Amino acid sequence: MAAGVASRVGFTLDEVEDLRIAIDEVCFSMVGARGREGTITLRYLLDSDELAVEGTGRFSDGLGNEPVVSALSNQILAAVVDECELSAGEEGPQFRLVKRHRSA
Amino acid sequence: MAFDNKEREELRRKFLDYATTRDRSLRDDLVTAHMGLAEYLARRFTNRGEPLDDLVQVAALGLLKAVDRFDPERGLEFSTYATPTIVGELKRHFRDKGRAVRVPRRVQELHLRLGAVVSSLSQELGRSPTIGEIAQSAAVSEEEVLEAIEAGHAYRFTSLDAPSGNDDEMSLSAELGSEDQGLIDSEHRVTLSPLIAQFPPRERMILHLRFFEGLTQSEIAGRLGISQMHVSRLLARALAQLRTQAEDDS
Repeated sequence: MAAGVASRVGFTLDEVEDLRIAIDEVCFSMVGARGREGTITLRYLLDSDELAVEGTGRFSDGLGNEPVVSALSNQILAAVVDECELSAGEEGPQFRLVKRHRSA
Repeated sequence: MAFDNKEREELRRKFLDYATTRDRSLRDDLVTAHMGLAEYLARRFTNRGEPLDDLVQVAALGLLKAVDRFDPERGLEFSTYATPTIVGELKRHFRDKGRAVRVPRRVQELHLRLGAVVSSLSQELGRSPTIGEIAQSAAVSEEEVLEAIEAGHAYRFTSLDAPSGNDDEMSLSAELGSEDQGLIDSEHRVTLSPLIAQFPPRERMILHLRFFEGLTQSEIAGRLGISQMHVSRLLARALAQLRTQAEDDS
């Protein structure tokens, strides 16, 4: 899905791959290693030279809304997207990441 | 899995000790004592085209998790507790593997063809091509390109340690200089030491260049003399393995 949107904005293969890695990584940070019961909703916000993806997890397990981000996840996210924020939202853990289009 | 009363009592004592001490040698004893159960359950899955040895490994992993989580105070028999955990691990193995093998032939072929298309376009353009450019050059739709790229990420965990069979394998390991390796190792010792260090040199180098040096996949491909698609595949596999590990550690 993310790859489809990204390619529509003219992202290069490298950028599409980065975005895919980023979304995998944030979702992993939200559900944790053991997984959680629930849904993660994603919103794609397209601009001429950037793609923002916002996500909110709604989980029924009552385990809290704080995403758990390992040092490695942080390092990976910093390398593949231009901006990334993970936070505890009211309904559940949430994230926003931005990938800018570089190549002409 | 029949233990006599004496053995049963001995195991119960070990479980109680292990619950408080978390002593590794006790854990090893408990796992060894119940390997018969793991093998028995693994055998029930042998008609699905997977070698028994692999299945026993998977079952042993489930057994290990069960030993770790078992609470002897609850009065439940360990085998009763462990069976669903081990069967769950075996089923998950088939589910993960199932995803890897169900890639249609048409998509696999396109994936192979795209490797060459991406390489020549990257050279021609001097940058990573867009999905649209790849689609045009390969005379297929953008959706098909995305699907074929995705197919490259369908991995098998068991194949991680095996050679990929690519021609670049030998030349690449020869290219990884010892000086670079030392630098990489020292950097990761400070930050993410054991996680990255477990990978073979090639994967370690790729993880380092992408996530620590900030090179793009195409740049890494150029630096290491392999295709971008191959870099993508190796990265996806390495990340999947890191996550599986986080799961096992938790």
